[in-house]
Amino acid sequence: MFIYAVSSVRPLEYVILQYINDRETQTTALLVSDEAVQSYKTVDEAVQTDEEPKRKLRLAEDTSGQLANFLRRTEPYIIKQLTNNLRSRAFDGYDVDLEDDSTSVTSLHTLTYPSLQDKFQVTSLSWNSTGSVIGASYGQQEHEDWCTHRSVMCTWNLDRTGIVADKPDSKIEVDSCLMYIAFHPKNPAIVAGGSFNGEVLLWDLSREDDMLIATSGLGQDSHQEPVTKVYWITDAKGKKIYLVSASGDGKIIQWKIDRKAQKLLPKEGFMVMTQSLPRQMKVKGVRGDREIGVTCLSYHSEDRETFIVGSETGVIFKCSMYSQGPPAGSHIVSSIPLRSPVTFTYNPHHGPVYAVECSPFHRNAFVSASMDQCIRLYSLLQAQPVLTIEPGEGYVHSATWSPVKATVIAATTQSGNLLIYDLKQGKTVPVHNIPASSNKEPVYACQFNPQQTHLLATGDGKGRVQIFKLSSKLQQVSGKETEFLGNLVNVTAE
Amino acid sequence: MSEVEETIKRIQSHKGVSGIIIVNADGIPIRTTLDNSTTVQYSGLIHQLAAKAKSTVRDLDPQNDLTFLRIRSKKHEIMVAPDNEYLLIVIQNPNAV
Repeated sequence: MFIYAVSSVRPLEYVILQYINDRETQTTALLVSDEAVQSYKTVDEAVQTDEEPKRKLRLAEDTSGQLANFLRRTEPYIIKQLTNNLRSRAFDGYDVDLEDDSTSVTSLHTLTYPSLQDKFQVTSLSWNSTGSVIGASYGQQEHEDWCTHRSVMCTWNLDRTGIVADKPDSKIEVDSCLMYIAFHPKNPAIVAGGSFNGEVLLWDLSREDDMLIATSGLGQDSHQEPVTKVYWITDAKGKKIYLVSASGDGKIIQWKIDRKAQKLLPKEGFMVMTQSLPRQMKVKGVRGDREIGVTCLSYHSEDRETFIVGSETGVIFKCSMYSQGPPAGSHIVSSIPLRSPVTFTYNPHHGPVYAVECSPFHRNAFVSASMDQCIRLYSLLQAQPVLTIEPGEGYVHSATWSPVKATVIAATTQSGNLLIYDLKQGKTVPVHNIPASSNKEPVYACQFNPQQTHLLATGDGKGRVQIFKLSSKLQQVSGKETEFLGNLVNVTAE
Repeated sequence: MSEVEETIKRIQSHKGVSGIIIVNADGIPIRTTLDNSTTVQYSGLIHQLAAKAKSTVRDLDPQNDLTFLRIRSKKHEIMVAPDNEYLLIVIQNPNAV
């Protein structure tokens, strides 16, 4: 390019210019548009599961023609064995322990993010769909006014050999406290989060630059109070996956993701109102359409339209996506119609409900944890709880079912302990009671790893995430647990 | 033909039965009530196991022969009825409520 200064070499200049022109045409188009196409993978995955039945299994032809005789001979014997098996008590209580017998729960890793300087606490944890990445959201509990903290979401990949306990694999900065995060159930890189300011955000961790792919913004359609929970649900046919968020303003909104505009648009919404409260809790003079803050929600494992909602008032509601409840009051401004989803009300806790979860094994059981220091097991069909467990360790901040063993519940308390209950072995005393934080800090979040079932993560008030390895007893399934849970939860007509 | 289908249906509708596979002498399934990948897996593995069990019994006592094979696992029980030309595999969950 320095040739320009030598004016006597003019003809050469033109040649060089031509070179430059060529180079310019060599730049290729940006690949960003391709990435947008890839983001539709979530739909493709659903389609792929449908293709399997089309492949036909080529069964061999029966050449000897003796099949009927063979079946005639063996059928009576087989039927006799089948009936014997159902009645047999030979294997009752016979449990084989073939794996190495570890009876204790040990802590594997303690993950921290030092830049937070212990000022932030872990508000929620989530494992991704492959079970190899744990994500933690951080926030502060004390806010006087609008949130002005700059918080982060950190993820660690536990399958990497060189895992460094105080260096997260990825950090996403958020400009307010993050209250809840949830990884997508199929795509291991997509994660949704709810912030203190009422915003619902969606990130894609596989992107190099800006990981934020959609946000609900801070307008009338988003939440007006901190988002308490975000949840991914599959629709009735099991094909599409939607994002639902719940918040202290009583709204439960189902979102539609608009990738191009990078916005989350509300698709359907519900509002939990005071008219759904049980009679003894209603306050005279308060209108029926005042909103009740939603603190947690859980969708039913089999019935896609039923969900359980826990509220700040301590009341637990059973709700339905298709309910035609009364609409929200006229003081609520929203672009989509909001109505009450409540179909049934359960006997309330004496304090805000911090967690509810429907059992993944039995269609009628769900567990709830509350500030009134107890854990309750409810049947979906009756208002009174079936079982109340009082650990006596302060507020119970979270309770969750084990994804492998139907009678195991893990709970975390204000006194910094992780309690693991096995209902088959004792309904009041936990099988494990382990300190999960350094100096009696309350433990706010706890999540089982659905893929690698020996792992459990907890997060405490100083921002530390602990990964525990569960004992082999907690993962051994004997097949009778679902029956045991069913017997516990069965409503007896008395 | 229909007698075969009726028998299979009768066994399949028995309480707790998850599936039934009939395999020929070469280990290739000729009838099944399960999906493709499961059938292929079961027929290959059980065929080999039944052959090994049969040879074990005969090695221990040449005048003896295998009449029935049952494999009980945590989740279910696999019952195998062997024959010269066929193998009947029935999978049952004895804890079925």
